[in-house]
Amino acid sequence: MSKGKPNFNYNNCMACGICVAICPLSCLKLSKTNVDKYKKAYPELALQENCKECGICAGSCPLEAIKHIPSI
Amino acid sequence: MKGYTGKVLFVDLTTGNINVQQIGDEVYENLLSGVGLGAYFLYNNIPQGADPLGPDNVLGFVSGLLTGTGSVMTGRWLAVCKSPLTGGWGDANGGGDFSPAIKQCGYDGIFFKGISGKPVYLYVDNKVTQLKDASHVWGKDAVEAEETLEKENWNMKKPSIAVIGQAAEKLSFISGICNDKGRIAARSGVGAVMGSKKLKAVVLAGTKLIKCEKPEAVKAISKEFSDKVRKSNLPGIFKGGILPVLSRLTAKQKVFSAANGMTVVSMYKKFGTGMGNTFGIPNGDSPLKNWGGSVVDYNKSYYKNINPDKVTKREEKKYHCYSCVIGCGGVCGISDISKGEFSHTHKPEYETVCAFGGLLMNKNLESIFYINELLNRAGMDTISAGNTVAYAIECYVNGLLTIKDTDGLELIWGNSEAIVSLVKKMITREGIGDILADGVKVAVSKLGEHTAKYAMHAGGQEPGMHDARLDPMLGIHYSADPTPGRHTIGAGTYYNMMHLWDVVSWAPKVKNKTPKSEEYRATDEVGMKSVVGSCIKQVVDGSGGCLFAMITGIENWRLFDYLNDATGWGKTPDEYMEMGKRMQTLRQMFNIREGIAPLSCRIQDRMAGVPPLKEGALSGKTIPIEDMMRKHWKHFGWDADTGVPTTETIVKLGLDKLVTGVENE
Repeated sequence: MSKGKPNFNYNNCMACGICVAICPLSCLKLSKTNVDKYKKAYPELALQENCKECGICAGSCPLEAIKHIPSI
Repeated sequence: MKGYTGKVLFVDLTTGNINVQQIGDEVYENLLSGVGLGAYFLYNNIPQGADPLGPDNVLGFVSGLLTGTGSVMTGRWLAVCKSPLTGGWGDANGGGDFSPAIKQCGYDGIFFKGISGKPVYLYVDNKVTQLKDASHVWGKDAVEAEETLEKENWNMKKPSIAVIGQAAEKLSFISGICNDKGRIAARSGVGAVMGSKKLKAVVLAGTKLIKCEKPEAVKAISKEFSDKVRKSNLPGIFKGGILPVLSRLTAKQKVFSAANGMTVVSMYKKFGTGMGNTFGIPNGDSPLKNWGGSVVDYNKSYYKNINPDKVTKREEKKYHCYSCVIGCGGVCGISDISKGEFSHTHKPEYETVCAFGGLLMNKNLESIFYINELLNRAGMDTISAGNTVAYAIECYVNGLLTIKDTDGLELIWGNSEAIVSLVKKMITREGIGDILADGVKVAVSKLGEHTAKYAMHAGGQEPGMHDARLDPMLGIHYSADPTPGRHTIGAGTYYNMMHLWDVVSWAPKVKNKTPKSEEYRATDEVGMKSVVGSCIKQVVDGSGGCLFAMITGIENWRLFDYLNDATGWGKTPDEYMEMGKRMQTLRQMFNIREGIAPLSCRIQDRMAGVPPLKEGALSGKTIPIEDMMRKHWKHFGWDADTGVPTTETIVKLGLDKLVTGVENE
């Protein structure tokens, strides 16, 4: 069942990469770098077209930093 | 549902047979996973006296019990084997994203025996397990090979790849196994074992979910720890130039107390391990001039050039291992330094900066960046390589090597051009490089025993870049760990930060303002503390945990709670520490079976302060290292004179029933 594409809350995210490693289609990438002063590379949905909206990434995040935006 | 899969993959490279083996719950309940699973598998499957580079040696890639459970700081994997460098137990610890990839394929470990007739790599995903031809990437460096294999095998999931470079292909005893384009599980010569098997890479693209008993409870611990990390920050005005000042202050301290481990986190977030580049010099932590110098030699005019601010200036973005919320790594641009040869390198770790900086009296930071990338690509251990170059330089300046021997290289202290050239020769095994490519112990066997006084090692392995004359407990671990020469096992500074005495009944409590002189005595308390350090590190390595999380303190990174929530076991901290003792004892049993005499693994005289340094913070410091090793063994329940685990201890730990052949000990 589709759960929507991931939406990242960078206030909660610590760039740990758990979501990136678990994505079965490697849609996520640690590449968003303009979020904080530490030059951390945060996750983003790099391959939008590949995302099947499975929700695994949000389920894996220990910091509640990923919410899904249901598709209309 | 307990965080582990209960299965390992066993590949015979000689025959091409691939088997899945079930591992019983009793193994995990006694030895965890990770290094404990590795010790169990290797002890049962490597015949006594096996040639480390022969078909009977077994090379394993093991994940950790907590990896992938929703825990943080648990993304470490280990390569395990019989080490060609020490002749005994070998392991090397790596980060990146390879650890979860092992479990996403459905296994806790992947083991190899035999030797392939041609270069191959192993590919695994959810459905396919296959040995594939690697002839087209044999000869390529680790980064090039990884890029090629990634492109060829990226179908649905981007594969995670462990791969060797040219150093391992050429069977260098100081070569490691690389992943994430420049990370390296570097120690123990694990790369040479992989090279000897003609195994170029392991390519993993599984997507299986890793399940544990109480995932929400695990996540709650992660959130609590992450919030503390988030709040641990240095003020903006804190620059690298302050570090040597702090270092001088610590050098003057005559007492020690329990410390707050979270303070280190703020340093790692800002500088990475590079905080040690200059912090370690005035106080004596960093070995200088092949362990024979001090800050008087490598003074400010030198160390100002390796200020971590100068390193982070090149950092383009941070790098995190899987599940790491600290992020001590970084990716740096070096296109100008390498004249276009390389665009980037992983931020040089402190160990690398010291091994190719102060240890060689080298103040040319650009050369260190370049060497870092050369060695990461070739897959050669920067710690062992730096110690070996230091040995060569000291031989040269004392007339034991001539310019003819060095193929024209003027190997004097600080000659960065000659150092770079020598590193290249070591990678390609050209001329003098062939003599040095297997580390200092082999080099001594080729150049003569009269050079041994310049060869710094413990049991054949070159030591990490932390001086036991400052932290004597470090010397115990360098000397008495079954993988000698490792700086990541334990130390007095780690002990003071972990606060294990709050939860482990037998861990001695650190008294406030204990005289520092107590650390230099071979007391029962020191011996007991070092045993605590060894045991907790085994539990961490069985869990896939990161050393830097461990030293934040057990009240912060709640390892035992993590394990109970992941497994549902409900064990006490004492029971987990008993597991650590079991794992360490099994590794020691492996060494005894291979004929290793534990006392022979003691650090070299110079490293123990014999004779003592005459200048600097460590002047006059000597460590009673053999007496300390005996105290360590005594409190492990091993023979205090020989370091051999006693039958009583083996039986008490249940190892006689867990592994085969113990009756022959």
